[in-house]
Amino acid sequence: MRILEIAPGALSWSIIAFFVVLAIWKPVYCAVLIIVFDFYWIIRTIYLTTLLLLANRQLAKQRRRPWFRACQKIPAWEQIYQLVIFPVYKEGPDILRPSLEALRHTHYARDRMIVVLAFEERHGPAREYGQILAREYEKTFGDLLVMFHPDRLPGEKRLKGANATWAAKRSKEYFQSRGVPLERVIVSCFDADTCVDREYFGCLAYHFLTVPQPHQASYQPVPVYNNNIWYAPAFARIIETSASFCQMIESMRIEKFVTFSSHSMSFRTLVDIDYWPVDMISDDSVVYWKAFLHFNGAYRVVPLYTTVSMDAAYSSSFFKTLWVQYKQKRRWAWGVENFAFLVSRLLKNRHIPAAVKMRRSFQLLESHVTWATWAIIIGVIGSLPMLLGGRFFAQSAIGYNLPRITGLLFDFTLYASLVWIVLSWTILPPRPKDVPWSRNLVMAAEWLIVPAVIVLLGSTPALDAQTRLMFGRYMEFSATEKTRKVV
Amino acid sequence: MSADQKIRTVLYYVSVSVFLVGLPFILAFSLSYKFDRRSFKFTKTGIISVRSQPPGAGVTIDGERLADKTPLSVTELLPGTHSVTLELEGYYPYARDVEVEGARVSRLEKVILFPLRPDIQQVNKERISLFWTDDARASVYYVNQDENLVYRSDLEGNRFEQLCSFTPIAPLPRKWEISPDRTRLAYFNQRQVGIVELPQGKRKPVFPNTVILNFPSDTINDMFWYADSYHIILICRKRIVICEAREGAGPVTLVNLAKRNSAGFYDPRSDSLYFMDSQEAPDGNTYDNLYRLEMRNRVYPFTLPDFITLKGLEQRMNLLDWRLEEKKDGKKP
Repeated sequence: MRILEIAPGALSWSIIAFFVVLAIWKPVYCAVLIIVFDFYWIIRTIYLTTLLLLANRQLAKQRRRPWFRACQKIPAWEQIYQLVIFPVYKEGPDILRPSLEALRHTHYARDRMIVVLAFEERHGPAREYGQILAREYEKTFGDLLVMFHPDRLPGEKRLKGANATWAAKRSKEYFQSRGVPLERVIVSCFDADTCVDREYFGCLAYHFLTVPQPHQASYQPVPVYNNNIWYAPAFARIIETSASFCQMIESMRIEKFVTFSSHSMSFRTLVDIDYWPVDMISDDSVVYWKAFLHFNGAYRVVPLYTTVSMDAAYSSSFFKTLWVQYKQKRRWAWGVENFAFLVSRLLKNRHIPAAVKMRRSFQLLESHVTWATWAIIIGVIGSLPMLLGGRFFAQSAIGYNLPRITGLLFDFTLYASLVWIVLSWTILPPRPKDVPWSRNLVMAAEWLIVPAVIVLLGSTPALDAQTRLMFGRYMEFSATEKTRKVV
Repeated sequence: MSADQKIRTVLYYVSVSVFLVGLPFILAFSLSYKFDRRSFKFTKTGIISVRSQPPGAGVTIDGERLADKTPLSVTELLPGTHSVTLELEGYYPYARDVEVEGARVSRLEKVILFPLRPDIQQVNKERISLFWTDDARASVYYVNQDENLVYRSDLEGNRFEQLCSFTPIAPLPRKWEISPDRTRLAYFNQRQVGIVELPQGKRKPVFPNTVILNFPSDTINDMFWYADSYHIILICRKRIVICEAREGAGPVTLVNLAKRNSAGFYDPRSDSLYFMDSQEAPDGNTYDNLYRLEMRNRVYPFTLPDFITLKGLEQRMNLLDWRLEEKKDGKKP
């Protein structure tokens, strides 16, 4: 297991070290590899931007569709229960109320919605928060269950997954006591700040009722960070919008698609796979791999082209925001722990074809290693042969052409960012009245800082996470700071 | 499979194909290889990087005019010597043979094109005989030796004005120099020094006429203003003297020179006099050396007019240790 934990970090560092050593000893070879990588990245950017356009077209088309009306045409819809779990740590009513209001205004039968507010018992004001919200929303939904997760249960770490699992187990008892078959329950696990689109549950139920083998699928909406996006600093907006874009692109690559953040799935399946992990930070993706292994590879993620909106992570000052963003991205990058989890279990599984095992393991490893290295290779290592190659390299044709080709890549990134600017506008919420019109221009212009942001917050947090895992310095879950100017 | 997934599959294979087909060409271009369609082979070539000042010059290589202007890179050149010509209208053409090596860059990046008809302007507005600039290159001073007039303007010839008149000396002055505070102008020939008070705004000159100092016993080779703008240092044939810039002032000898017609200069920043002189060494030979005489005295005659006296200065120049004695007495040096 330790070898598998070491592998991604070791591979990332080896790649970086290899390039640095090559830049010193064989700058021409290094330049050749960088040019190959640059060319690959240009092709990849075109490919991914086209996928983004396709995903955006789907989102534009499907988010306007009256899903609940479509859902009502399917007779079985009335038998479906929506279980919505909000694992809460320190968030108070100011964060939770908009999420519950979004549920209240959703186009779905609210009497079929069971909402669980899963507080952490160790957080002092949790009971008070629970009482306030229970009073306000007790008759809004089919039922509102306020639960308090006891601290330090055996085998658990202080993680979101542990809280969600505890809430799911109590919910199972709730449904069984009422004689509701678990097959008829769809569970959605949302971050405390998640505000669903009005058609989310209609869309979810429709897909659940229409896709083949609905219990062998997770349902992934497009996460957007619109709750406070107009008030977030420029680089935080870019990072969060890029995260949304990444998810949209992933939604087009179905064979690689893995659950991320707020998502939904069959409650029966969740119970069968023994819920979310209670000792791993990346519970949102590990739950997918658990289901994947449980069904011997016959498990998939169905993209829902509807949005769930969350808070963009930012704080009171520039550097604090930078730190908050860095920590959040490092936590996301901690998903690299999935590699050891998956491979160790794949080795024991005899039912999944070897080709599938190899492909999924490689895809997972490649995505994390690429995440940790690509921005460093392009932004930093790309210029090393020029700096370290000496006079002979500078006078060579490749030494002359390398900065031109690297410059071409950056120019190309800027052109591509024009597409991203237009697309980012399509997922933006309406501008609040207290935000000046000029912010529109700022939001367009801020994409020019993409090259700087991707070097700073692109690879570094991922490399940090992999290095920590490599040395066995396991991360603790730290909830992202929620800052809202307007609720 | 949905329509989007079909598009994606096609796009994926197109991307892979473009990468695989394009990569050899990208690498060949990077390494400066040229693809020969006839022989279907890659040939090693070189690059010439051309930059010119001003940019925008047309480039001809081996008699073939290129469409692009400087700065540019000419790629896919076969190894060997190539003649490069740069042409820009209104400028002299530039031509050079450049040696090109395979997979190497030959740089022609320091080319300056000089204009055919330089933009020459007359700076002075009156007849002049000679000119010089001040140390700060802020002003130009002109002398009309026929009419004994001094003019001044900025470097562009603007604010051209008559500064003063002066008394001529014969033979004609060898050098003209403005005092550091720009209030006086001194000029000299072998035997005489002339000093003219320059007008300062509306203030009238202190000296209504030119002061002429005569030095019949020695030949003046060079002259400098002392830092206080009140004394002048004269490098003479046999000695170096300092003299007040006033009517009837007598010179004080700073150094008697063993070497005749020695060179020297005064540096007002360090208040030091540098001069060349010869000295006999223990081996019996005479060697020339450069000496530095620290004047160690900054005087401001306009605020402390009586502080410096020639006698005191002479004592200091003789390196007497009077400062320490005065400090012991508690007096200000």
